[in-house]
Amino acid sequence: MIALVRYLFTILLLSQRYLAPLLLFVGLAAVLTSSDSGPLPATYSAVAGAMLLSSAWLTMALLGLEDPPHRAIVVVGAGSHLRVLLGSVATTASWCLLLTGAGLVLPLVFGTHTLHPADLVLGTEAQLVCAFTGMAVGLLCSRLVFRRQGYALVAALVLLLASLLGKGVSPVNLLLTDLQHASKSADVLGSTGVLVGAAAALLAAGAAATHAITVRKS
Amino acid sequence: MLRCEGVGKRYGTGRWILSDVDMKVSAGDVVAVVGTNGSGKSTLLRILAGLSRPTSGTVSGRPAAIGYVPDRFTAHERMSSVSYLTHMGRIRGMSTSAARARGGDLLTRLALVGGPDAPLRTLSKGNAQKVALAQALLVRPDLLVLDEPWSGLDASAHGVLGEFIDDVAADGGAVVFTDHREAITETHARSAYAITDGRVTRRGGHRAGAPAPMAELVLTVPADGAVPAEVDWYALPGVADAARRGRHVVLRVAREHSDTVLLTALQHRWSVDAVAGVGSASGNAAGADAPRTDAGSAAR
Repeated sequence: MIALVRYLFTILLLSQRYLAPLLLFVGLAAVLTSSDSGPLPATYSAVAGAMLLSSAWLTMALLGLEDPPHRAIVVVGAGSHLRVLLGSVATTASWCLLLTGAGLVLPLVFGTHTLHPADLVLGTEAQLVCAFTGMAVGLLCSRLVFRRQGYALVAALVLLLASLLGKGVSPVNLLLTDLQHASKSADVLGSTGVLVGAAAALLAAGAAATHAITVRKS
Repeated sequence: MLRCEGVGKRYGTGRWILSDVDMKVSAGDVVAVVGTNGSGKSTLLRILAGLSRPTSGTVSGRPAAIGYVPDRFTAHERMSSVSYLTHMGRIRGMSTSAARARGGDLLTRLALVGGPDAPLRTLSKGNAQKVALAQALLVRPDLLVLDEPWSGLDASAHGVLGEFIDDVAADGGAVVFTDHREAITETHARSAYAITDGRVTRRGGHRAGAPAPMAELVLTVPADGAVPAEVDWYALPGVADAARRGRHVVLRVAREHSDTVLLTALQHRWSVDAVAGVGSASGNAAGADAPRTDAGSAAR
């Protein structure tokens, strides 16, 4: 699995397709948090919103990178479709972790805040909720499911909007509402932890659905 | 070892691409699958390699180490050939140094133009095909599945591919390949299956035990200065190999078709330099060491 992640990480790096989602993330984080001095939970909720878009984009970029014959070779080498899909998820997750690190630091650089350790934990949790949800959307709108990229893009936009606006259903919407009203990070750590679990379950469901569709279509 | 029973395949509610396929591939076997374009050869090979799940029926006894070469390998990656092979080797559980050494070795044998450090996306179709072949052979496969492996390969790589196939079979691995040229399937396969209308039927192998007899024809530009017409040698029946050496063209032809090919060559104003019988059909020129001279070489 490590060899697989290393290969997928390298081809994404060499293709430079990571660049657009990376710039989008840094750009949004800069615009939404510069000269901000409010409570950190609200600031990190804005960064998490940027993560939602970037993680979906990264996932779609990675899965769209290889054409079917190349992917077939990797699948035969790795032994199964499922292993390659899990490798792809792990690769995107590692990219998202890198972004999470940047997302924790950037608001502190661009704005003036007094930092508590609980803020950093909350920031990580908030970004993970959005990263997992975004990856689930990215998987379902990837080349494995949609052969036509136009439809995939429309579907991704619809799903991302739904996860942002789905009141009381989507972990992302719950997170953003919670964090906008919280003044201290320590108060919402527990509830956000639950949302991380919910988002991880969403990612697992997205991966299972994508795998089922891949096997059916292959 | 590998056994298909009642295998059928269709996508969604579309037409049945394969139906009721019974097939057996045993260790050390070299099996050709022949059929027209779009007859379902690639689909059958994808099922054998475990890439595609049959809609009906079962496939059993698939070994762990499978080498798969897809029908087209369009490389648009910036990675170099040797690092691609290193990654593929590591995914198959090799160590970095072993994978790199084995990859470099295979690329040298296949004579990759541009060297092992050329980025994949700069390679021509034939050279990309060589990389695709190399990745399938990094670990000695128990089952080697090749989808039209000869397309795009040059004459010398044809011979090397023949050696690879023989090596895998000699080590107890099974090889399944497709090609639409009769000559190639007759030369390399021990048994053959034909696909028509989604049904697979077994054909008698031409190489059951003893290799098919081959003849080597050496053609040249005639001395009277006439310019011979270009001929697509591979389109002729029985032609396994055609190599151009300066003013000469060396053809390896199945013995039963050599008269037809010779007649065609003469009609296109080629002059015959030599005709020799070659015992083995394994694809390498080593069999020509002791040529039996026929009347044709009197022209020399």
